[in-house]
Amino acid sequence: MAGVGSNNHETAYDSAVFADRPPFEDLYRDFLGRIYAYVRAQVSTAADAEDITAQVFMNAYQAYGRFEARNTTPAAWLFRIARNATLDHFRAHGRRERLRRTIEHQPQGVEDPAGMAEERIQYRALLAHVAGLPERQRDAITLRHSGLSFEEVGTLMACSEDAAKMLYHRALKALRASVQAEDVS
Amino acid sequence: MSDNEDLELQALQRQLDDAFETTRPRGGFEDELWSRMQARRPLSRRVAEFFGGLVGTMREVPAVPAAAVAVVLISAIGIGLIALSGIHLGGGGGTTAGSAPLRSEAGSSRSNATSFGRLPSPSLQQPPTAATAPQPTKGATDQSAQSVLYLGPATLVWAGPQPSVLITSAPVYRFREPTEADAGQFATALGASNSNHRAGTLGEFSGPGFVLGVVGSSRQPLSEPRFYITPDQSRLPPPGPTPTDTAAAFLSVHSLVPAWSYVVVTDQLADTTRVVYLRQFEVPTYGSAYVVNTYGVRYGLEVDVRRGQPLQAFGPLPLPLDVANYPVISSDQAINLAFVSKPSAPASIQPEPTVQLTTFELVYALVNAGDHSFYEPAYLLSGTFTSNGTTYVKRVLVPAVDPSQRSS
Repeated sequence: MAGVGSNNHETAYDSAVFADRPPFEDLYRDFLGRIYAYVRAQVSTAADAEDITAQVFMNAYQAYGRFEARNTTPAAWLFRIARNATLDHFRAHGRRERLRRTIEHQPQGVEDPAGMAEERIQYRALLAHVAGLPERQRDAITLRHSGLSFEEVGTLMACSEDAAKMLYHRALKALRASVQAEDVS
Repeated sequence: MSDNEDLELQALQRQLDDAFETTRPRGGFEDELWSRMQARRPLSRRVAEFFGGLVGTMREVPAVPAAAVAVVLISAIGIGLIALSGIHLGGGGGTTAGSAPLRSEAGSSRSNATSFGRLPSPSLQQPPTAATAPQPTKGATDQSAQSVLYLGPATLVWAGPQPSVLITSAPVYRFREPTEADAGQFATALGASNSNHRAGTLGEFSGPGFVLGVVGSSRQPLSEPRFYITPDQSRLPPPGPTPTDTAAAFLSVHSLVPAWSYVVVTDQLADTTRVVYLRQFEVPTYGSAYVVNTYGVRYGLEVDVRRGQPLQAFGPLPLPLDVANYPVISSDQAINLAFVSKPSAPASIQPEPTVQLTTFELVYALVNAGDHSFYEPAYLLSGTFTSNGTTYVKRVLVPAVDPSQRSS
C-alpha cells in the first residue's frame, strides 16, 4: 500500500477500503443523482452539470482516504466538494451564464432535447427561478432540497442551524415572489 | 402568515422536492463516469483487485477441487486481461443478439412463451432523499396526495375491505434491451433520420419539425427504454382547445399513440399541463392493472403542454413483448407476505410506526435482468399514518408470481 500523504488515486481508494467507512462505490451510487440535481439547478446546460458532477466525484474519489466520518456526514462532505466545484465553475465562466439563465428561463426548445427529457421539463422554469436567487438564498434552497438537514446546510454555509432555517424560509418566500411575478407578467 | 401563504409555501416545497428528485443525469452517465474513474486507477491495482476478488470467492467454496481452481484461474486470467484492457469480444453467442424489427406492442407482435424460467422479483425503492414522495398524478390514485413516502420498517395491520382480486394466474411480459439498430428503425418509421450519436442514448434523430431520441433502460431510477420527441417550437400548429386534445393530436401526427391500454389523466404544474397516458396490462378474469414505477406510482407516456402547444412527449419505447402465464398467489397470501416482507428502506422514524394498510391493488412492475426486462404482476398495498405532524404513506409491493417460480 502506498504511504500516507500520497495523493494518488490508489492511495485514496486503498485507504478507504481499509478504514471503517462505506466503500466509495456506495457513496457514488447513493449520491450521484443528488449531486447532479444540485449542480443542475444552478447551471444552464446538462453538459455543464455533467462536467461539474464528474469533477466532484473525481475529486471525492481522490480525497476519500482523508474523509473523516466522525467529523462530518458523507452527504455534507460530498456537497461541500460540489458547492466548491460549482462556485469554481461560476468563477471560471463569470456571472454571464447565470444572468442568461435568469433571463431566459424558458425551456431550450430543440437545443437540448435529451436533457429536457431527463430533467422533466416542467421543473426547469422553477429551477431557473432558484438559479436567479441571491447566492446564499440559492444555496439554502438547493442544499436543503438535495436532502441535507438544516444542521448540515448551516455547517456548509458557515452559520447556525437556526440561521440556516431562517435563510431557507426567506429564500422560499423570495422564490415564491419570483414565480408569482412571472405569472403576473 | 396566513393559512393561504402557508399552503402556497408548502406547495412550493413539494414542487422543489419533486424537481430535485426527478432531475437526474441522462441514462448511461453513471456507468460512464464510474468507468472513467476506474480507468484512472493504475492497471496493476485493477489486476490485483480482480484476482483478489476471485480468490476470495474461491475461499468461500472450499470443496472446489484444486484442478478445477486451476482451470478457473487460467480462464479468469484471460478474461480478466481482456476485460481490463477494454477489448470487446465479438457479439456472437448471445441468444438475443441480432436486429429483430422493432414493432409496436400490438397483440400481433407478442409471442407466447411457455415460461421464462424463474423470475427476479420486483421491489420498491426509497427515493434518493427523505423528502416528499413522488406525487401520484392527479386522477391516477386518490391515495397519498401530499404525503411523504415511507418504505422503512413498520408494524402492519390490514384494515381494508376483503380484496376483490381473485385470479390464479397472470401474464408476465418480457422484452429485450433494444439496440442502436432498433432505435434507428423506430426513428425511420416515424420519418426521422439519423442525425448524430448522442452519448448516453441509442440515437438521436431529426425529422420534419421534431427531434427524436431513444435511451436504453436505466437502473437508477429503474426505467424501461424510453423515447422523447420534441417539436420544433417554430413550426407548431395552432393551439389545441384543451391540453388533452393537444397531446392526442401531437401523438397522432407522429404515430405515437400507445398501442397498449391506457387511462389519460392530467397534472398541472405552474403553466405546464402534463397529460399522462397511464399504462395498463390486461389480466384475464381481472381487468386492467396499472404499471407502477419503483416508488409505487402509476406512470406511462407523458406529454407536456404549455399554452396549447406540445413541449415534449416522453414515454416507454414501443417494444415487442413476449408473454408467458405464471401462477400467482392469492390476495390473502399477499397480505400475509406483506406483514413479513423485508422493508425496502432502513428505519427513519422512531418509534417504529404501526400502519393500517387499507388499499390493495394488482399492478405491474418493471424488473431489469440485464439484457432483458420483465413486467411482472405484483400486489401493491398501502396505507397512511401520521408521525410528528407529518403524513406518510406506507407502500408494500408483494410479488404476485408464486414463490416457486421466482429466483429472488
